[in-house]
Amino acid sequence: MTIFSQSVSPCGKFLAAGNNYGQIAVFSLSAALSSEAKEESKKPVVTFQAHDGPVYSMVSTDRHLLSAGDGEVKAWLWAEILKKGCKELWRRQPPYRTSLEVPEINALLLVPKENSLILAGGDCQLHAMDLETGAFTRALRGHTDYIHCLALRERSPEVLSGGEDGAVRLWDLRTAKEVQTIEVYKHEECSRPHNGRWIGCLATDSDWMVCGGGPALTLWHLRSSTPTTIFPMRAPQKHVTFYQDLILSAGQGRCVNQWQLSGELKAQVPGSSPGLLSLSLNQQPAAPECKVLTAAGNSCRVDVFTNLGYRAFSLSF
Amino acid sequence: MSAHVSIGGIPRIGIMESKDEVIRKRLLIDGDGAGDDRRINLLVKSFIKWCNSGSQEEGYSQYQRMLSTLSQCEFSMGKTLLVYDMNLREMENYEKIYKEIECSIAGAHEKIAECKKQILQAKRIRKNRQEYDALAKVIQHHPDRHETLKELEALGKELEHLSHIKESVEDKLELRRKQFHVLLSTIHELQQTLENDEKLSEVEEAQETSMEADPKP
Repeated sequence: MTIFSQSVSPCGKFLAAGNNYGQIAVFSLSAALSSEAKEESKKPVVTFQAHDGPVYSMVSTDRHLLSAGDGEVKAWLWAEILKKGCKELWRRQPPYRTSLEVPEINALLLVPKENSLILAGGDCQLHAMDLETGAFTRALRGHTDYIHCLALRERSPEVLSGGEDGAVRLWDLRTAKEVQTIEVYKHEECSRPHNGRWIGCLATDSDWMVCGGGPALTLWHLRSSTPTTIFPMRAPQKHVTFYQDLILSAGQGRCVNQWQLSGELKAQVPGSSPGLLSLSLNQQPAAPECKVLTAAGNSCRVDVFTNLGYRAFSLSF
Repeated sequence: MSAHVSIGGIPRIGIMESKDEVIRKRLLIDGDGAGDDRRINLLVKSFIKWCNSGSQEEGYSQYQRMLSTLSQCEFSMGKTLLVYDMNLREMENYEKIYKEIECSIAGAHEKIAECKKQILQAKRIRKNRQEYDALAKVIQHHPDRHETLKELEALGKELEHLSHIKESVEDKLELRRKQFHVLLSTIHELQQTLENDEKLSEVEEAQETSMEADPKP
């Protein structure tokens, strides 16, 4: 089993995980973290079949869980999800150019200011969907190969997308145009031709961006499009995120790596899966006691790190 | 139920038990009462015996014995009262210490919250510093702006100088060209004049010979 995606509930007490069979399992973080936790608390509270194909990406709004994988995005109510036999609230499919083959959706991104959802995946386009009306407002074209990951740059607001064609493109949502392109593989400091040029993970902090995958994990200064720090990690990274003054990354290899912006490896904390595909930080203000980092990947286990220094325990599908 | 003070050394019943339990246990443990209770019972019995006794010496010794038992009872009661006082004061002391510890716990909680805020602040500062360092490293790779400006100025001056030289050389060239032109045109004119002169002299010679040939016949 491979767990592709995770999402934390708006109340902060539950974690949803989606796997390659199309199932979504909801774990109760507050039960598993409490002092009376038993073995059953580490099992899901409810598991249901959400999609026909793998669930590649999930995000949560303040009332819904949105999941996507096999070309459709479905919405589930968090309030209903814990009851058995939960039905999806709605399902939408972005307008694809060919109706023969339905491309998969690899990444979802919420843009809270516009109350819209951005989907990106196998058809090399970014589709913007308004969450109120459900209508697909724009399609941003520019990538020449499928898109792996999305990130939101809050200040502008711009969306960054990275894909198999090795370029990170910045799109302005208001004008629906490509504002900047960074072709990572063309810079010799970070390109690793033997791994390929695909961009597997993206994270941004408004002025800075971290991206990794085929090329080495690099920190970029967006204004000047220059790579400033290269993190010496041989294995391609599949998920990266900024946290306080650190950069957390995970990929091929058991460990969650913690980097300082200067390029030093601060810590490598081993998890229980042989490879990690997604990291999730529960920073919901409603549940400060459930503030944990969870990591999941090529196994049925979701590792929970209460303190970034060690793995506390694992939840299991 | 209040805490019972220990009488005669045997710990009486604990806090939570009811009055019945107390009475039952006391009856079971000692029918008469051990220590002080027995002493009081004995005193009462000996008082009755003394009242009923006859002789003077026996009466006197019995009286002395009763007095001593009475003073023993008083002594033990005084002791118990003191112990009770001590316990009350210990309780107060413990309450005070308990409150102090609670205050210091609250204080420690606040300090922890304060320190957490400071940590967040320090992390932000560290992040800013590292971002600055990263950019500074990139900038260092490019040459200094002053130097490049100076180089630009020097190059500009050289360019000016060279263009001046070029102008003066061109002027010289023009001058020489003009002079050569003048020379060449003067030579041509001279050539023309010489040719003209030759032609004229040839024509004159031809005229002379024809004039000489004519007067002969």
